[in-house]
Amino acid sequence: MTHLAATASTIHLPHVNYVSILPILIMMGGALLLLLLSSLLRRIISTGVCTAITVMTSAAAAVAAIVQWDQVLANGAQTTIAGAVAYDGFSVLIQLLVPLALGLTALVADGYLKREGVVGGEFQVLAMASASGAMVMGAANDLIVVFLGLEILSIALYVLAAFNHRRAESGEAALKYFVLGSVSSAIFLYGIALMYGATGSTNLAKMAEFLARRAVLSNGLLLAAMALLLVGFAFKVSAVPFHMWSPDVYQGSPSPVSGFMASVAKAGAFAALLRVFVSSLATQRLGWQPVIWVLAALSLLVGAIVALNQQDVKRMLAYSSINHAGFILLGVDAADARGISSALYYLVTYTIMVIGTFAVVTVIAGRQDRATGLLEFRGLARRQPVLALALAILLLGQAGAPFTTGFLAKFNVIEAVVLTHGYTLAVIAMVSAAVAAFFYLRVALTMFSPVGEFGDGPDDDVPLDPAALVGAATPGAASGVTTVPPRAWSAAMPGIDELADAPPSEVVEARGKVPVPPATWVVIGFCALFTVVFGIYPAPLVDFAQHATLLFI
Amino acid sequence: MDAYLPILILLILGLLFAALSFVASTFLAPKKKPTAAKIAPYECGIVPEVEPPSRFPVRFYLVAMIFIIFDIEVVFLYPWAVIFRQLGSFGLVEVVVFAAVVFVAFLFLISNGAFSWGPVVRLTPGVPARTSSSTIARISGRPGGPVTAAGVPVSTGTPGQAA
Amino acid sequence: MTALATVLLWATATHPTLVDAGTFSVSAALVIAGAIGVIVARNPVHSALMLIMTLFGVAVLFLLLQDPFLAVVQVIVYAGAIVVMFLFVIMFLGVDREENLGAEKLRGQRPTSVILAAASLAGLLILGFVGHWTLGAPHVAGPDTGAPNVNLLGQSLFTTYLFPFEATAALLIIAVVGAVALARRPGGEQKVVDAAPGPLAPELDPASRFVVTPPAPGGNEDAEPSGPGNQNGGDGS
Repeated sequence: MTHLAATASTIHLPHVNYVSILPILIMMGGALLLLLLSSLLRRIISTGVCTAITVMTSAAAAVAAIVQWDQVLANGAQTTIAGAVAYDGFSVLIQLLVPLALGLTALVADGYLKREGVVGGEFQVLAMASASGAMVMGAANDLIVVFLGLEILSIALYVLAAFNHRRAESGEAALKYFVLGSVSSAIFLYGIALMYGATGSTNLAKMAEFLARRAVLSNGLLLAAMALLLVGFAFKVSAVPFHMWSPDVYQGSPSPVSGFMASVAKAGAFAALLRVFVSSLATQRLGWQPVIWVLAALSLLVGAIVALNQQDVKRMLAYSSINHAGFILLGVDAADARGISSALYYLVTYTIMVIGTFAVVTVIAGRQDRATGLLEFRGLARRQPVLALALAILLLGQAGAPFTTGFLAKFNVIEAVVLTHGYTLAVIAMVSAAVAAFFYLRVALTMFSPVGEFGDGPDDDVPLDPAALVGAATPGAASGVTTVPPRAWSAAMPGIDELADAPPSEVVEARGKVPVPPATWVVIGFCALFTVVFGIYPAPLVDFAQHATLLFI
Repeated sequence: MDAYLPILILLILGLLFAALSFVASTFLAPKKKPTAAKIAPYECGIVPEVEPPSRFPVRFYLVAMIFIIFDIEVVFLYPWAVIFRQLGSFGLVEVVVFAAVVFVAFLFLISNGAFSWGPVVRLTPGVPARTSSSTIARISGRPGGPVTAAGVPVSTGTPGQAA
Repeated sequence: MTALATVLLWATATHPTLVDAGTFSVSAALVIAGAIGVIVARNPVHSALMLIMTLFGVAVLFLLLQDPFLAVVQVIVYAGAIVVMFLFVIMFLGVDREENLGAEKLRGQRPTSVILAAASLAGLLILGFVGHWTLGAPHVAGPDTGAPNVNLLGQSLFTTYLFPFEATAALLIIAVVGAVALARRPGGEQKVVDAAPGPLAPELDPASRFVVTPPAPGGNEDAEPSGPGNQNGGDGS
């Protein structure tokens, strides 16, 4: 007992500023509440109720983040809970962005889950948990917290990717994502271990302090640690050459989940990447900047060029997200306040645009996400002009057309790189933007091209997707009659949506209008309006990103 | 390292015992090769007709999950218990929060049938109220047979019929 | 035995570093041999058993680092619970299938992977040897006051790593939800509830009907469902 008494005085209980983690607590609390409800209620909880809980939780978390913003503006940046959590403008921005993305995703997923007949609250529970992981990553000030956030985010995403049981590709996507993701997590963890060996701490502030106080002469260990950490991050943000998983996973996952993956997972990973490298390892810039340079250049080029040849819109969007990752990496490469704020601005705009885009893809893909070929979008402008217009706006925004948020986003990151004399990278980025504009415009033109004149395009010699070939081979398709191809499970599901099941190709006009649930309309409308309004009047958003950066630890 | 010396000795003893057992069995065991009848699985003297199922039901997986979850919880509880007095109410609150969150996972597993090993009752939408087999079962009034929640003896037909 | 004990006691008393080095060498060899065994074993069950060997070796390494608590945790959680979980999963998938390690989906994949792995390992080792290790200078748990290891661990857990500790609970719950969501059969409309007849029996819900499925003989969960009502398979008895 004597030594217990002696050590009793040495425990300094950490001060917990609950406001600093309030959005995370709300998000996790929402997930727990929904899980508890679905466990205790005898009846299966309806999808609408789950969506409502998710959206309300997201709204509450966003409100909490706004409260945080006021506090941070008043008190300045600080760390809390024994330095494990950063409470600054940067973290608040992520705490605001992620719930927004989650709320939008939940609204899209509502229609999707009802269409696919997926019941139970697990989808929303996992989505909320995943979002809380991304928020933890945004606020993490310790590599261990970063890792936990990464795992909370990823493990939930692995399961969400597999959520469509009736679709084999969904399971394949999940397995691929899981195996590769686990390896990358292991590499990341090894990087943390080496970083602890090199700096004697996993706390980002202490690491920075250690590195600032002394010149590391033999920095081999530090370099190894940074390399391994970068591999882990590059995998999560799907930067080339660690992008191999993303096309298959985006294509196979349920469309709302693909949107969630492209937005929330990227936001969380980039937030942690910026904080770890640009903030904590700023003194080691010469060590990691060339690697970021290569990652950015490769992502920009490979993402844009490979996307040109994609016949599946979800695959194309996956490569486009690789391309966007390259653009955000420009901001990381610039590695100054302007670089961070431009990367944050890009993240915000890209998150909104990509969720909106995947919302449109969700409704067009129809049952089981099968109709995602480029040809499915043919004639959409005539059938559903408003939907086509919204998609066109979102795609133009992603392409970086003027008067959309995407333009200023691309302009900002390129400007940040130019100001740090990264001229080569800036040129690569501009070339990539030009190439990328081509495939975005191709989808847009496909929507507006009347049926039958499609063969004039530059891409008519590229192979059709297998679904289209099957459709063309069906006799009914050739004669212009909508037929349901014989499928093993069609008998098992009498309520199958015949319109969505029509084979793509010549009969595409016979598909008619795709049903768009009201909640999805809200999302599409919000995202398109956001893209245009903040494209014309970007000042508030730019100010927000700059303020968030100024209040950066 | 002195403290682990007994463990090391025990380890060596264990290895020696295993090695000696193998050696002894080679000397002492009958040399004859076992007949086919001898290596056949024993099913109360009846010749087995079907292969035993080589796969486990997925319910085992849920039980294993419960085990791991609470295993890890206990791992965290142990250091807390050691310094419980120093941490005071702060530690108690933190641990209760942790345990409560984990307990929700436990509830979820139970509600998903982790512990339902008997005949299972399911919520199956659109099942006919009466089937011929259920009627036969009710008339025969088989005692001790499975009953529904309402106490009505029901079908013991194949699951396909029940659906 | 007493002779052996005497020799060992003498060795630890006179050459402590030698004994440490010996213990380390043996357990490190166990770890590596086990790890290689995991990937080369044809039978997945053997792989899982090899994994136990690796994890046990790591537990010995923890002992060598004078952390008996982590060593015990390593054995209980990893060698115990997690490998048992692996074995269950292997059992679901069928144990009688041996992996064909000879088949290569991608030509030249194996030599390439060996070369790349060796290059990565060599790079890490070189960087590690030329690097400057600062381990130990700034203790996370503070200076060594002679307090038992578990105390220090607890102190770290509830001070420095309080937030990660609570976040672990979230991770655990996600693991559970994810596992259940994945293990469920397609079209998981059914919700299985306890069916013990008697006072514990649930109330009959008027909106849906309860059906008692008798235990199918030799039923297993992986049997193809014979109808929509049987999608959870037998009861596993």
